[in-house]
Amino acid sequence: MSNTYLDQFPAEAKVVRAAFYSSFFALAIGGLFGIVQTLHRTDVYRFMDSADYYTVLTAHGVLLAITFTIFFLVGVFTWAVTTSLDRGVENLRFTWAWYGLMVIGTAMAAIPIFAGFTDSIDMSASVLFTFYAPLQGHPLFYLGLVLFVVGTWLAGVDWFRSWRAWKAEHPDERIPLPTFMVLTTTIMWYIATLGVAAAILLFLLPWSLGLIESVNPLLTRTLFWFFGHPVVYFWLMPTYMMWYVMLPKFSGGKLFSDPLARVVFVLFLILSVPTGIHHQYLDPGIAEGFKFIAMTNTMFLLLPSLLTAFTVVASMEHGARQRGGTGYFGWLKALPWRDPVFTGMALAGLMFAAAGFSGMVNAGMNINYLVHNTFWVVGHFHLTVGTAVALTFMAVTYWFLPQITGKALWSRPVALVQVVLWFVGMTFMSNAMHRAGLLGVPRRTAEPQYEGVTFEAAVGSVGELNAQIALGGVILTISLVLFFANVIATGFNGRSDELPSNGYADALSGPEDAPLVLDNLKLWTAIAIVLVIFAYTFPLLSIVQRGGLFGPEVITFPVSLESLAPIAAALEYGGLATVDGVASAVTGALEPGRIAIAEVVR
Amino acid sequence: MSQSIDESTQTTEIGHDEYDPVGTLALIGLYFLILVALWIFVYFVEFLGNDPTVVTGSALLLAGVGHR
Repeated sequence: MSNTYLDQFPAEAKVVRAAFYSSFFALAIGGLFGIVQTLHRTDVYRFMDSADYYTVLTAHGVLLAITFTIFFLVGVFTWAVTTSLDRGVENLRFTWAWYGLMVIGTAMAAIPIFAGFTDSIDMSASVLFTFYAPLQGHPLFYLGLVLFVVGTWLAGVDWFRSWRAWKAEHPDERIPLPTFMVLTTTIMWYIATLGVAAAILLFLLPWSLGLIESVNPLLTRTLFWFFGHPVVYFWLMPTYMMWYVMLPKFSGGKLFSDPLARVVFVLFLILSVPTGIHHQYLDPGIAEGFKFIAMTNTMFLLLPSLLTAFTVVASMEHGARQRGGTGYFGWLKALPWRDPVFTGMALAGLMFAAAGFSGMVNAGMNINYLVHNTFWVVGHFHLTVGTAVALTFMAVTYWFLPQITGKALWSRPVALVQVVLWFVGMTFMSNAMHRAGLLGVPRRTAEPQYEGVTFEAAVGSVGELNAQIALGGVILTISLVLFFANVIATGFNGRSDELPSNGYADALSGPEDAPLVLDNLKLWTAIAIVLVIFAYTFPLLSIVQRGGLFGPEVITFPVSLESLAPIAAALEYGGLATVDGVASAVTGALEPGRIAIAEVVR
Repeated sequence: MSQSIDESTQTTEIGHDEYDPVGTLALIGLYFLILVALWIFVYFVEFLGNDPTVVTGSALLLAGVGHR
C-alpha cells in the first residue's frame, strides 16, 4: 500500500492535478509558438505574415510567462501547504473557486489574443507580454488578466487560512518551512500585483473601453514594471522551494540549513518589488538618481541568490557524501544522475548560475545600455524562466505525477533524455541569443534583417548564430514532445501500489536554530512596504508631474494590421519621442537609433 | 510531516557536526573565478570594441570641459 499525496489528500490532489494540467496545456501551445517564432525570426522557415509574428509573440509570452508558470506554482503551493501543515484545505469549494477564476481569466485574455490571427473577428490584443501603451488591446484582454490575478489573490487567502487554522492548534510551533516559503511568496505577490492592478484598472482598461481619452505611457510602463520584475520572483520562489525542500531529498541528503532558507525568502519578500525601474534604464523621463536606487536594490538581490547557490549545492553535497562520494569534485560523481528528477533540477540550477552572470550585466546601469532591447535580454530570460524555472517544473513533474495520479511514471529513460535535451537545446539557443544581442540584434522583431545595416561579429557570423538558435529551438521542441508523451502516457497507466511516499527533505540544521524573528511576517511585510514607498514615491510623483496622470496628448494605436502602416509612418516622421518604447517592438528601429545616439554623443 | 531520505542508496549517515562542505566551497569558488573572468571579458567586448555610450560619452565630455 502506498502513501502518496493522492492517498493522503484525495480531494486536494484533484485540484493540484487540474492546476498542473492547465499549466501543461499552456506550455504546449506556448511552446509551439516558440518554434514558430524561432524559425520565422532566423528566416529559416517563414509561413506566416510577419505582422502575425507579434500575435504569436504575445501568445508565447502570456501563455508561458503567466499561465504555465502560475498555474503550476499554485499547484505546488497547495501541495506544500497541505503536506507541511498536514491538513486539508479549509473549504474545498473556495479552492475550486479560485482555480475556476484563474481558468476564466486565462480564457478571457486568450480570446482577443487568438482573434488577432483573423480579420473576420474585430478583436485583437497583440500587445506583447508587456502591453505597453500606446499599444492597445481589446478590453477583454485586460479584464481576463484582472480576473486571473484576482484568482491568485484568493489562492493566497486559501493558504493563509490554512496557516491560521493550523496556528490556532499549534500555537508554539515554528511555521513549517514549505508553508513559510508559500506565505512569504504570497505577501510579495500581493504587494507586486498592486502595480499591475493599478495600471489596468485605473488606466488601461478605462482607456480601451473609451472612458478616458489617453494615458501616460511612462506611468503605465512604470506600474507594469512595479509588477513585472517581482513576477519573476513569483516564478523563481517556487523553483527555489523545490531546490530547498525536494532536491536534497533526491540527492540522498538533507537540507543544509533551514534558517538560511528562511533568510533567503525574507530577503526576496523585502527586495523583490523596489527594483522594477531597472527594466527602465533607457526610459527617458525617469531621473538617473531613481534608476541608481533601483540598481542598488537589484544588486542586493544577488545576496539571496548567492545564499541559495551555497545552500543548495551544500545540500546536494551532503547527499553525495552520504552516498559515498569523496574529494573536492569527486563527490559530484556520487549524485544520482540517472534520476530524471534530480538531473533536470541540477541542470536547471547550473543554467541559473550562467543566467546569474547575464543578469548582473542587465542589472548594471552602464552595461545595460549596451544590451537593452537586444536579443541578449531574450537569451537571459530563456535561462531564468525558460530553464531554471521551466526545467525544474518539468523535472519535478516526474515526481509529482505519481503523487497526484496514483500511477507510476510511464518512462524514466524518456524523462532523462527529455531533461538533458532541454539543457542542450537551451545551451545552443540561449548562448547564441546572448551573442547576437552583443552585436546589437534587436528583440521583439519579426525580421531582424535590414538593408544597409550589417551586424558584425567578432567571432563567428550572424548566419552561424541563427543556425544555432534554430537548432536549439528544434531540440527544445523535441524535448517538449517527449515531456507531453510522458505526461499523457502516464495518465493511461493503471493505478500502482508501489509508489514513493509523499514528503520532503529534513534539515541538517532545523527551524529550532532559526531566530524567532524570521517568522514575524508582519515585520517583514512592513519593511517591504516601506522600501517600496522609498523606491517608488518620488519617481511616480515626478512622472505624473511631468506627463500628467492621463498623459500628454498621445496617439492611440489599436493593434491590428491596418494600424501598422500609420505606426511606421509615425515612427518615420514623428520621431521616437512619443512612441519610444514601441519603437523596437514595431519596426526594430533600435540599431539605427543607437547609431544615431552614438553620433549625437560624438 | 517530512520524510526521511531514500535509505537504499545511502552508505553512511553524516550529521550536522561531521559535515564539512568543502566540495561546495570548491564549486562556488570555481563559479566565482568564472564570473571574474567573464567580467574582464565584458570589458574587452564592450568597452574596447564599441563607440562611446551615453555614460562614457558624457564622462568624456565632462572630463573635456573640466580640462578646459
